[in-house]
Amino acid sequence: MKTLIKTALLFLLVVSCIKDPKLPNISYTMGGGVILLDEGNYRSGNGSLSFYSYDSSKIYNDLFSSANGRPLGDVPNSVLLKDTKAYIVVNNSGKIEVIDPSTFVSKATIENLKSPRNMAILSDTKAYVTSLSSDSVAIINLTSNTVSGYINMHKTSESIIVAGSKVFISNWAGGKEVMVINFANDTVVDSIQVGAEPESMVYDRNGRLWVLCNGGYARKDNAVLYEINATTNRIEEKYIFPTIDDSPTCLNIDSFGQTLYFIDKGVMRMDIGSPSLPTGPIIEQGGGQYYYKLAINPLNGDILVTDALDFAQQGYLYIYSYRGDFVSKQKAGIIPGSMCFNLTINSQTN
Amino acid sequence: MVFFLPVHYSGQISTDLDTIKIKEVVISRNKPDTEASGYKKTKIDSSTLVNYSNRNLSDMLSENTDIYIKSYGMGGTSTVAFRGTTASHTIIDWNGININSPMLGQSDLSLFPVGLVDDVNIYFGGASMLLNNGGIGGTINLETAPVWNKETVISLNSGIGSFGSYSELLKVKTGNNKFQTVTKAFLQGSENDFRYLNTQSIQSRITETRTNNQVSQRGFVQEFYYKNSENLLSARFWYQSADRNLSHPIGIPDQGEKQFDQSLRTMLNYDRVVGKSNFSLTSAWVMDRMNYFNHVDTIDSRNLSKMLTLKAGFENPIGDFTKLKIVLDEESNVINSVNYTHKTTRNTASASAIIEWNKARVGTTILIREILDRQTLLIPDFSAALQLRLINAQEYYIKANLSRNSKIPTMNDLFYGSGGNPDLKNEYSLIYEISYEMNQKISVPLRLKYNLTFFRYAIDDMIQWQPGEQIYWTAENIKKVISSGAESSLSVDYKYNHLNATIKAGYILTLAKYGESKYKNDNSEGKQLMYVPVNQANASLRMGYKSFYTSWVSSFTGTRYTATDNSAFLNGYFINNVMAGMKLPLKSSSVDINFNVENLFNINYQSIANYPLPGRYYNIKILFQFIK
Repeated sequence: MKTLIKTALLFLLVVSCIKDPKLPNISYTMGGGVILLDEGNYRSGNGSLSFYSYDSSKIYNDLFSSANGRPLGDVPNSVLLKDTKAYIVVNNSGKIEVIDPSTFVSKATIENLKSPRNMAILSDTKAYVTSLSSDSVAIINLTSNTVSGYINMHKTSESIIVAGSKVFISNWAGGKEVMVINFANDTVVDSIQVGAEPESMVYDRNGRLWVLCNGGYARKDNAVLYEINATTNRIEEKYIFPTIDDSPTCLNIDSFGQTLYFIDKGVMRMDIGSPSLPTGPIIEQGGGQYYYKLAINPLNGDILVTDALDFAQQGYLYIYSYRGDFVSKQKAGIIPGSMCFNLTINSQTN
Repeated sequence: MVFFLPVHYSGQISTDLDTIKIKEVVISRNKPDTEASGYKKTKIDSSTLVNYSNRNLSDMLSENTDIYIKSYGMGGTSTVAFRGTTASHTIIDWNGININSPMLGQSDLSLFPVGLVDDVNIYFGGASMLLNNGGIGGTINLETAPVWNKETVISLNSGIGSFGSYSELLKVKTGNNKFQTVTKAFLQGSENDFRYLNTQSIQSRITETRTNNQVSQRGFVQEFYYKNSENLLSARFWYQSADRNLSHPIGIPDQGEKQFDQSLRTMLNYDRVVGKSNFSLTSAWVMDRMNYFNHVDTIDSRNLSKMLTLKAGFENPIGDFTKLKIVLDEESNVINSVNYTHKTTRNTASASAIIEWNKARVGTTILIREILDRQTLLIPDFSAALQLRLINAQEYYIKANLSRNSKIPTMNDLFYGSGGNPDLKNEYSLIYEISYEMNQKISVPLRLKYNLTFFRYAIDDMIQWQPGEQIYWTAENIKKVISSGAESSLSVDYKYNHLNATIKAGYILTLAKYGESKYKNDNSEGKQLMYVPVNQANASLRMGYKSFYTSWVSSFTGTRYTATDNSAFLNGYFINNVMAGMKLPLKSSSVDINFNVENLFNINYQSIANYPLPGRYYNIKILFQFIK
């Protein structure tokens, strides 16, 4: 009996000596590629940063924690590149990490933001950040990396686009408006009534603002794509999605400002001059896949789409050529989301 | 002979010296489960209940049993699961009536003070069906029972501890051989501002203080019992409320989260014996209020559920060896929630027949249950069990059972405003279980108990909230799960003159795997379920000498995965608690003082990712007892 107890206690000691996991020792090829934010699970603090290198055709995961010795945070939502800095908006951590996009080392952290979502840089010193849970857009001083003020919109904000002297900001969650802001004096100058829940926007070569309204949480309204004249703030055209189950997201545009892309159970493509919505996807979403975020390579038109699978395991980044031909499948982090290209002209990009 | 351990006013720790042995009462509450052969059921011993009387059920179960507890930290929500199943597959019963929230299908064990109950019985797997349907993993029955004597007992249990915690529990019991009244009141709270390691800043290993983590709880229980030679009547009333601030996960700014829980539980029970037959009628009305507030995400979630349960039991012997039991159960729920589109009701009824056959060394139990849920008859559930006593008059058993148990979806699964799916099917599981059990006196001072159980669950149509066609997630019958494993426990009791000692050791292996996936890219297939540790173990030593007593309790929880493809995990932890105390008799009363050290080795650990648990902490408890 004593032996048995001793064995049991010994066993307890052995299994309890599990070591802390070591951070992986990663070396990756520098150069052109895509910064990919893996959102991780809401309130789980397991957001991470991946980098897909066009030079080595490989993906490198968990780079922020490797470079900084701490996790990125809770739900990194968007990433924006400006010169030698990348701004990562970490939604539920209420912060923006300012990193060096070649080493991923954090240079500064902009804190005290309320549920920040997306960022637009207006000058060398000024940016706006939208907010999912507050009714104000935060004004950021990019020199001091602090919040310098707020624009009260009396509603929450999501997508943000700069067009000339105007900034267009969509009121997504529960809303149906696009607010127009004069960023010279930080005031709301107009608002445009659109469909339920304007989720994403792009600006085309003809000075048109495209607004994708995904139809709302409760699925009472059909989704609508709006074409708005950014000078007059007037709606030029609207394209109503055929069924109530169409819930398109993630409107993108290629670097020519000519071709629209979005996700609607597959990747859809539409020319800005098209008289109607596309009838079928150029990239189909397979069973068990959940296409989550989309990005278009500005140099070669590659279509990058992420797959969040069941939202509780490592997802995938799929790369397709602009023709829609499969190029590569890469295993990313949990809930791979927003992407940002960091490409150099010298890079080997086909 | 049956003896009831007068838990709520016996002394401290394992000294069975304190145990008052009284004669079996003529009528006890008609529990359909008591002797059913072939199932695994364990009872928390009375001394453990006394030791944890000013703690919550979550702490008591995690340190003393095989079942797995997930906790959001001190004062935070805590749920329980058996054998790789989920919290909503575990039923918390109050005297045989399911008191899980009908919305969530689970209970927060941090809200149950151990001192309010007199017995805790744990029904594993198929055994759970003897009490309720739906407890695929198991059922934990919290029981209250009177002690039929003329004593008046007043006890006051006061505790004070680290992080500004305090607790007061007052119990008054009085009556005679026909009538008993028991009153209990409690008040407890804590700042819970403990130090923890900020794991979101790995390199600098910053230690921080938990904020916005206060909890304050109060409650009141009144029980009346009346009996005569043929009848037993009881009325029970249980009110409690808890006000909590909820601390944020590490690495996320404080969201100003608050939760208010309020429960009112009432129960009327009537048992009658006529000849060899037993009748039992129980009605219970339970109201649960749960309001959650999040300042940052501007959530103001108000939920009120009401549940009426009626249960009738009839038991009659057929011949010398067979007993037939019929149980009818009717449960209706009404939900008022801002998260539902309108006030929502549900009605579920069931009829069960249980046949027990016991002869010489062989016992069998057969159970068949038919459930009518929302006007639809379900495929019947069943359980069949066999028990063999290996040696005459000695306690060596082989037990085996095979069951099919189904779990109807929770009200949230069905009706939650965004994502609830009224077309959900029931989850169901086939459960196989075989165990070897012994309980034997080896020599005069020494007794040995041993149990080895193998189990296998094949759960189908498991409900999971999935991203889907809509923007929000919806409840779907998605996953198949196969969970198999083993539980073994050993207990050695030694009792000689004034010395008594108990050594316990247990080990649990749970291989709970995601089954075949419909999807080709899904890397979860064949992987261990999230938050189900493969390995768990516990060991304890309890000793008493005259009026002194002491204990050392260790528990180990292995690695738990936090991603379905097992690409992320939380480290295992090994937690030790020590306690020492003494009980001083004073004329007609007694004073019992003890001192506890929790997490002796000051381990940093998390039960749920980014919700830290405290390092070493202390508490002192004084139990004053007056008997007349």
